[in-house]
Amino acid sequence: MNNRDDDIIVLEDLSKIYGDGVQVRALDGISLRIKAGEFVAIVGPSGSGKSTLLNMIGLLDTPSHGHIILKGIDVSRASPDERARLRNQELGFVFQYHHLIPEFTALENVMMPMLIANKSKAKAHLRAEELLAAVGLGDRLHSRPNQLSGGQNQRVAVARALANDPSIVIGDELTGNLDTKSSQLIYNLLRELNRKINQTFILVTHDMTLAEKTDRILRIVDGKIVCEMKRAGEDFVATDYCERAE
Amino acid sequence: MFELDIALRHMLTNRRGTAFTLLSVAIAVAIIIMSLGMTESVSSQIIENTVDKNPHILVGPKEGESYINMYRSLSSQLRSHPGVSALSPRLVGQGAARFQDNVQSVEFVGVNPGLEDQLMKVQQSAISGDFSQLRFNKRGAFLGSRLAQNLNIREGGDFHLYLKNDSLRLKVMGIMEKGTIKDQTLVYISLDAAQELLGEGDVVTEIGVRLSDYALAPAMAREWNEISQYEATSWQDFSPEIARFVGNQGVTNILFYMFILLISAFVIANTTIMVVSRRKREIGILMAMGARRRSILMIFLLENMLISLPAGALGTALGYAAARAIALLPMNVTSAAAGDGRIAIDPRPEYFALALLFALSLNFISGLYPAYSAASLDPVEAIGSE
Repeated sequence: MNNRDDDIIVLEDLSKIYGDGVQVRALDGISLRIKAGEFVAIVGPSGSGKSTLLNMIGLLDTPSHGHIILKGIDVSRASPDERARLRNQELGFVFQYHHLIPEFTALENVMMPMLIANKSKAKAHLRAEELLAAVGLGDRLHSRPNQLSGGQNQRVAVARALANDPSIVIGDELTGNLDTKSSQLIYNLLRELNRKINQTFILVTHDMTLAEKTDRILRIVDGKIVCEMKRAGEDFVATDYCERAE
Repeated sequence: MFELDIALRHMLTNRRGTAFTLLSVAIAVAIIIMSLGMTESVSSQIIENTVDKNPHILVGPKEGESYINMYRSLSSQLRSHPGVSALSPRLVGQGAARFQDNVQSVEFVGVNPGLEDQLMKVQQSAISGDFSQLRFNKRGAFLGSRLAQNLNIREGGDFHLYLKNDSLRLKVMGIMEKGTIKDQTLVYISLDAAQELLGEGDVVTEIGVRLSDYALAPAMAREWNEISQYEATSWQDFSPEIARFVGNQGVTNILFYMFILLISAFVIANTTIMVVSRRKREIGILMAMGARRRSILMIFLLENMLISLPAGALGTALGYAAARAIALLPMNVTSAAAGDGRIAIDPRPEYFALALLFALSLNFISGLYPAYSAASLDPVEAIGSE
């Protein structure tokens, strides 16, 4: 599979096998291309391998076989330090639970990835203020996570994920813990960022309502992509192999 | 440096955990400071009461001889050695003292008072009288306090000193208390009087030597034995049990401190392991944000090391307070050698540095394993942990 210029990430025949004795194949030969600025949803039943796939894309886990090519560079066998650098510079994470550091304020939490990247405190402070204002929390800079609602915390987490201006933002069930109204707000926020700054988003979700608001839906079952649907106007068009699977 | 920011913030917000670790270290430091102050003090009391109140080297007659005849020239030779701070030729004998109906066996020491005072600091131990006056009074004597008590004699009283069939009538010119067993037997008289009593002419039985460093005594005694025919013995030879005590104390202390270090290290390591376990998810998130493993290691090590500074200071204060409280208790720690029967605490400034070093190393050692295990966490497992 050749890398094209507009592919931000390419997965080639990616597999992940757990266990030494009884082996569990969490991912089974997945190949995938995602372009810069795409808004992708990965859906599937529990245990289908969607979170494992996300962890691979996020360089939190290493594949058993296959390749991960990020911006044209094979990073599947990168050293732990190099992977850490790439996670800091190229990737942003938003998890189901906001996972903010409870002892730090919203502002400090957003500053953290920039401080890890050795940026100056002054620069990090300024950028964090801008990002929090962008997610509608300009007036809650100094609030701690326990002083914010679930939706507000998740917005702080989104701002934190964007701190180092990453190539890809990865979300794992990021609205799974929120009410419908907050989920809608978060979705609208991501969509706006996607359109405004051409930010690539890859989201794992159970929520088909949210998935249907993205541009591309990948359905994964037993570690394989069994169906892919692409937006065509208001509707989605399923690929051939998707129809075969169904 | 974000590692320091995180470590500091954790310390300040996790007050209970911080206080627990801080107290563990402080108690360990306090025990060490207290025992260091006390053992050093006991040790210096023993040295003061034994080594410092006795000659460091005794030079005796040649083999087969009972006396040193040429003691003046030998004294000059010995005095020229570097490290010799004082010496005194002495004529020592065993006799008996009688006052009225009281008779006590004694050890009389004939001396030149000026030289003997330089060697033994007799005047410092005097309860009454002027030791230097012995020089001008051939019939004067200085008695140990217990001996005077047993004879029931006071300053100004006359007594008889017997040696076989000869005797001298002497006047008590002063009483001294060295705080050693010698107080029961010692009689200082002038060298002339002792030589007269002995009737062997201008001789002495030994030359007592004081060195600027008592630890050099064995080496110097060995050197003198090699280059002369006179028999030199160091205080380590005639007080082997004290020499052993002083020598062993360092080793005993180190073993004791190692045990305290080990116990405290386990307590702190256990606390830190619990902290790491509670913060697993946060570690995972930091890794997801791009924190390297060495940054995670540093966060936990820094947290532990930062606690050691106030813990060292608190432990030192607690240790001194406890040691001072113990010092108020009447305890006879060194038997007859202990002056007033109380433990004196020796507050040396180097103990502060030692305590701080101890606290730092304790926290570093005990934080190493938990910090390493935190840094080795798998980010996926850590994020997914409850």
